[in-house]
Amino acid sequence: MATVIDIKGDHQEFKEEVETTDMALFVRTSDEAMLGWDRQRIVDALIRETYVDFDTAKEIAREVEDLIATSKIKMITAPLIRELVDTKLVERGLEQARKMHTRLGMPLYDVDQLILHPNKENANVPHGPEATNLTLAERIKKEYALLSVFSQEIADAHMRGDIHLHDLGFIDRPYCSGQSLEYIKRFGLSLPNSIAMAKPAKHPEVLLAHMVKFAAALQSHFAGAIGWDSINLFFAPYLVGMSDQELEQLAQMMIFEFSQQAVARGGQAIFTDLNLYWEIPKHFENVPAIGPGGEFTGKTYSDYLEESQRFAKALFDIYQEGDGSGRPFFFPKPLVHITEKFFKTPGHMDFLYHICDVASEKGNTYFVFDRGETAKISECCRLSFKLDQTDLEDAKQPWKMRYCALQNVTLNLPRIAYLAKGEDSKLFSKIAEFVQMAVKAHLEKKLFIEKLLSLGEKGPLALLAMERDGSPYLRMHRASFLVGMVGLNELVQIHTGQEMHQSKQAFKFGLKVIAHMKLLVDKFSQRYGMRFVLEQTPAESTAYRFAKLDLKFHSPKSGHIVKGDLSKGEVYYTNSTYLNNSAVLNPIERVRQEGLFHPLIEAGALTHIWLGEARPLKSSLANFVIKTFQLTQNDQVAFSPEFTTCNRCYRTSRGLRSSCVYCGSEDVDGITRITGYFTKVSSWNKGKIGELRNRYRNQTFLKEKEEGMALES
Amino acid sequence: MIEIKGFLETSFLDWPGKLCSVFFLPYCNFRCPYCHNHPLVFNPEQYVTIPLEDILTRLHSLRNWIDGVCLTGGEPTLHADLPLLIREIKRHRFLVKLDTNGSNPQMLENLIETGEIDFVSMDVKAPLDPFRYSRSTGLPINLKPISESIEILKRGKVEYEFRMTVVPGLHREEDIQTLGDQLRVGRRFVLQNFNPENPLDPLLKNSVPYDLKVLKKIEKEVQEIL
Ligand code: SF4
Ligand SMILES: [Zn+2]
Repeated sequence: MATVIDIKGDHQEFKEEVETTDMALFVRTSDEAMLGWDRQRIVDALIRETYVDFDTAKEIAREVEDLIATSKIKMITAPLIRELVDTKLVERGLEQARKMHTRLGMPLYDVDQLILHPNKENANVPHGPEATNLTLAERIKKEYALLSVFSQEIADAHMRGDIHLHDLGFIDRPYCSGQSLEYIKRFGLSLPNSIAMAKPAKHPEVLLAHMVKFAAALQSHFAGAIGWDSINLFFAPYLVGMSDQELEQLAQMMIFEFSQQAVARGGQAIFTDLNLYWEIPKHFENVPAIGPGGEFTGKTYSDYLEESQRFAKALFDIYQEGDGSGRPFFFPKPLVHITEKFFKTPGHMDFLYHICDVASEKGNTYFVFDRGETAKISECCRLSFKLDQTDLEDAKQPWKMRYCALQNVTLNLPRIAYLAKGEDSKLFSKIAEFVQMAVKAHLEKKLFIEKLLSLGEKGPLALLAMERDGSPYLRMHRASFLVGMVGLNELVQIHTGQEMHQSKQAFKFGLKVIAHMKLLVDKFSQRYGMRFVLEQTPAESTAYRFAKLDLKFHSPKSGHIVKGDLSKGEVYYTNSTYLNNSAVLNPIERVRQEGLFHPLIEAGALTHIWLGEARPLKSSLANFVIKTFQLTQNDQVAFSPEFTTCNRCYRTSRGLRSSCVYCGSEDVDGITRITGYFTKVSSWNKGKIGELRNRYRNQTFLKEKEEGMALES
Repeated sequence: MIEIKGFLETSFLDWPGKLCSVFFLPYCNFRCPYCHNHPLVFNPEQYVTIPLEDILTRLHSLRNWIDGVCLTGGEPTLHADLPLLIREIKRHRFLVKLDTNGSNPQMLENLIETGEIDFVSMDVKAPLDPFRYSRSTGLPINLKPISESIEILKRGKVEYEFRMTVVPGLHREEDIQTLGDQLRVGRRFVLQNFNPENPLDPLLKNSVPYDLKVLKKIEKEVQEIL
């Protein structure tokens, strides 16, 4: 691609040449060859890249050459030439051509900053050469996406902050996905473009190695989480006859493999979810089990209950220990499904105590509630869905159970409220307008991904196009399209004057808004034959971005609305449909009230209980979990403790502190959950830090006389 | 009636297996140097009293969730009208747990005999000898009522546990062993780590708490003593 004329070379010589011999310039192409100045290259580029006619192209090239010659520019760079050509296009009103001719890239200053300073947009990204590579690539792909994948209308909406298109830097990948281990058990590991092909694993360690490799391959094809369904069950046929010690070792290998930061893309850990069941999920009871060598064992999965349970226990033993310095493992995340059948399966109370103990000590456990007879699978931290009839058919051949969400688009709900100026009808019509924008964005992304997939196993998404079981790995007809939201609480606050936790009416209004959105996405699903679903956006940086943009566009009103500390720039909107993080709400009310939204938010939802320093009793947590299952509609709960880990003595203590309780060192890192996962607090963006300060941690209510309220832990 | 000075609606850590609310009652007859509730215990006047009616109304909306109420302090048994408060709570059909330092065996016994309390958690401060007990409580202590309370609980007429807050400097590992030996209650003896955040004796602020893993190990050992 020599389309970009890259001039670099030795500036010293260069300058002299410009001065003496007019246009004897040397340009360096991106093929790393030095070429002399040739204005024909401008013509060629214009003809190749735009719809400009030949005469105009020639004219422009000549004008640019004159400009350079007469300007006595001392140093000329390729981007400059391109910009000069672009100004000529602008002068002629050739807006479309200018867009097509645009150069994507980054200013020198930005690259310098990027290489020297950590990226805070996603706390899961460490800082290092791999990470900067990732960011650089993301920046260009983001620009590409906004210019070329999305229509101007959608791109502008994103830039304005009406909506947020997630993971634009990963425009050429779907968003997140859920896998079945059965796929690699049955087909082994034969990835397109890879030289060695591995037959189905015969031993559990090899199966694990395949799983890790495959996960890494998937991570480079998806933007977000990689989830694994019923992982303890699907491993079970390989575990027959293993001793406790061997089992524990395997569990340890699995957790360490997925927790190590140094793997794959951009030095990022693979965002892994392990879905675990104490029982045999109903839809797998009579399914023929696949065992070593990819062979059917002649039994069904019901026959592997014991191995499956032992493995689940072993995994939690490892979580309980934590890593080498007693910190919780950040990844992989264990999601335990609590179902009606869970409570009918012997040994469930002991297991529940075990996972509650881990929740209390380390916080890892996610409790996923699948009530009634509907089966659900979770494919990323926030995305779980109910299996419908065709899925249940698939369940008989579990390797078919591969799901993905193609993209996540989040709506800036407070923005809608500013625009509605207190009028109900305007508010609801604006909501419809915003949802429609999200739908349009999804259609555009789908078209683009389909284009890439149509190139099949020779194309860029070969892995997702491979057909080992008669259909492509990525099953587009089963894809979901996520419509997320940020700041329902603030929408309600702007529109009604009260936050959702402040009055019943305010809360009800919030529910009404989400119900309206649900209706809209259902309507669009019908219209397009696609699955649009509401999602609780993890909104790690979106809640910060929206708040900042609204401070710009909707001040002074927004100044009273955004949460956090304005003076420090630590501002945010409340995530998704959550209640104010600082609201003095006991955990019961939080699971109950937030849970009322969950039935509307098909793509899974989660309530956080911030524990702070407190170390709950496992038996009391179990009590709470059971009641949450029985008495609420809440879909998922996680308990988040806080830790301080010391970089000098490598010990970890409870609570966020400025120095180590053991050795007094101030070289410490705070650790707690950011949105859906654990990280070091030092890596958080400003908005999230603001939220952290405000989180209500179930403290005691004390009221000092006269002086207002004081909270004490 | 007793003034309630602090209220935690939902606690996961005060009553094994239960979800409870916690009422904080003022005043104490001990002066444990590591006491971290001390502003509330010794200067309760600075806090507003929370009306019992308000609290009970709140609790009603949490009916199916909250199993009971934990009365803590301070030292609840200092209040002669504690039984009245307990009766009022029971009238609303909540279970009651009492936290005590064991200094009022008579009241403890009465409450147990009349079946008014469902769980007792007694703080034990040190091995049962006057010198060490006094050192851990900051006052000269008569051990007799403490021992009596221990005996009353060990009769088993009510569910109970003995809790010890372990403070480095005050308690050596042997001390925990000794106390475990004296109590001989197995898993009913539980250890708590000292919290250096805001102790009554500011000098303790710089005390380094036991490593949790170590503490867990010791706890396991002393729980084997029966
Ligand atoms: S017994 Fe000791 S720790 Fe408990 S309230 Fe009294 S002084 Fe504080
Ligand atoms: Zn340290």
